[in-house]
Amino acid sequence: MELEHSFTVPVPLERAWEVLLDVERVAPCMPGATLDSVEGDDIAGRIKVKVGPITMTYTGTAKFTEKDVAARAMTLEASGKETRGAGTASATVRSELTAADDQTHVRVRTTLNVTGKPAQFGRGVMTEVGGKLIGIFADNLAAMLVAEPAASQAATPDARLESNEVRPDIGAADEALPIDVLNLGSRAWSSLRRDGIQTLGDLTRRTSAQLLAIENIGPASVAEIKSKLADRGLSLAGTSGSHRPSGSTAKAAAESGPASLRPVHEANGDRPGKHAADDVAPVTPLRPPSTAPADSATGQHGQVASTADREPAAWQPQDDAVDLLGVAGLPVLKRALPAAAGLIAAIVVVFGLRRRRARRS
Amino acid sequence: MIPAKFDYVRPSSVGDAVQAMASGGEDAKVIAGGQSLLPLLKLRLAYPDLLVDVGAIAELRGVVDEGDHLLIGARTTHHQLMHDPLVAQHCGLLAQAAGTVADPAVRHRGTIGGSIAHADPAGDLPAVVLALDATVIAQGPGGERQIAARDFFVDYLTTALGPGEILTGIRVPKLDAGWGYRYEKFHRTAQAWAIVGVAALVRRSDGQVAEARVGLTNMGSVPIRATAVEAAAAGASASSQALHAAAANADEGTTPPADLHGAPDYRRHLARVLTGRALEAAAGV
Repeated sequence: MELEHSFTVPVPLERAWEVLLDVERVAPCMPGATLDSVEGDDIAGRIKVKVGPITMTYTGTAKFTEKDVAARAMTLEASGKETRGAGTASATVRSELTAADDQTHVRVRTTLNVTGKPAQFGRGVMTEVGGKLIGIFADNLAAMLVAEPAASQAATPDARLESNEVRPDIGAADEALPIDVLNLGSRAWSSLRRDGIQTLGDLTRRTSAQLLAIENIGPASVAEIKSKLADRGLSLAGTSGSHRPSGSTAKAAAESGPASLRPVHEANGDRPGKHAADDVAPVTPLRPPSTAPADSATGQHGQVASTADREPAAWQPQDDAVDLLGVAGLPVLKRALPAAAGLIAAIVVVFGLRRRRARRS
Repeated sequence: MIPAKFDYVRPSSVGDAVQAMASGGEDAKVIAGGQSLLPLLKLRLAYPDLLVDVGAIAELRGVVDEGDHLLIGARTTHHQLMHDPLVAQHCGLLAQAAGTVADPAVRHRGTIGGSIAHADPAGDLPAVVLALDATVIAQGPGGERQIAARDFFVDYLTTALGPGEILTGIRVPKLDAGWGYRYEKFHRTAQAWAIVGVAALVRRSDGQVAEARVGLTNMGSVPIRATAVEAAAAGASASSQALHAAAANADEGTTPPADLHGAPDYRRHLARVLTGRALEAAAGV
């Protein structure tokens, strides 16, 4: 399947080129995508696609196979495998940049190939969904590039917060606001509520380490909370719990990228039929937190806990690698049980016989 | 295949079901007849954590006469729709279309609410409720909500139902005796999804078409109204020629999918032909 998208961003060619090659910054633009690692041109990550009741998760790798500075063209090849099935998906994404005054026109051509159950069952779903995902990606990317200048400025105070030099005063008015105003994902929200954190004041008095200690709150949730607080000019207390692999300014800038993107996702959330593509993105935090009460029963399911947190903005290495035992399940162990028992029995018998023989001689 | 593990509750009232959905959060799913959801579960394409079975909620089943419209409970099966006297009298299109859904086994289990909430663009009933200008009733944590059918279908398998909301019924305006109807469904094997389906309603007066409504199945990611046909047919003479001429616009504004069963152009052609046939039958010419 061939798809073509194009968009124009109000930044010079040089800048757009730079950003597009920065995978860590571009990845959050893909709805449902999470980066696992970036080493040079090799990128590993996963993407979760949700269409109505259907959920598909792919893990895979991507690589820049072309970076033609002269022609201002780049090609990214990605391929992935379903985590819970035998299906595969691969894509070749070629972007061409052309300058138009102070703006940059980006043309994205994608060849998408999907196999396995989703493709067979789908009656064309995958084509449709693939096209929409790339459409959203292009929109988000454009939005991010537009927001870029603001983001790089925002990076400075953010970086200082990381190093605990400045701590903004939380106004009395903000302090009393319920955490609902942050519009957190339901899992983060209900976990905080369970821990007695009701207002922004309660929240900003905690450090990230303290938050991490709360059941069901992982690095992804903390990142979400931080970035949503940052949107309001707030931050968590202290920095002892900084869980980031690196607190550098560059990293902080990359973080601000997704944060500034969030309004795009949220705008997508309140539908009535703008871009038809909007609705493929339920993986993004569209849900108002009020729909999940604090005693949410799903808290018991480890896997679920992570999915709610895994939103595009949370691209940092995930704490929940695919648990093989969780996927293959106990049945694997059970199946091995008779064989293991047989082996042990045989060993016992052999052992017994040898001892008897030893005694006799 | 065996579905992934999930929790299961079977509440006996709508209130309990809404509560169960709320406690299940994003990964809770309503199950009624299960004719669409179970295959997804068994193919392991869907992994809900909680299934809320509305099968024990008696109030969701059956058809009630509410004056100028019928209230059809979400759990009313296709089989019941086919044989319900009220449906036959006031919105026969629904009964006829329900009769084209899959096979008797599916029709005995599958429900109208499930069909609509699942929002499969190849499902037959969505286009029909759209043509009937029906209203979908949903019950959620915030109370009851009425959603016009034209606002209900948002995207592929996606509806305007919010998280935690349960579709409880469909309110269908009664059509008087002046209306004719026809659901034309095209598929190449018995009991298959519609490659294209057309739901047509025509009101005749004095040898002319006073009003026409056309809903298309599987001509995009959601069921759509063929507004160009409706405009062209209104006021046209109720003749085979005029109706087919009106049907020539049936594919206007559609983005039919491409799959194993047909290319978009093929579907566009089918839409025009089937719309012509459906209008003819509905107008009784």
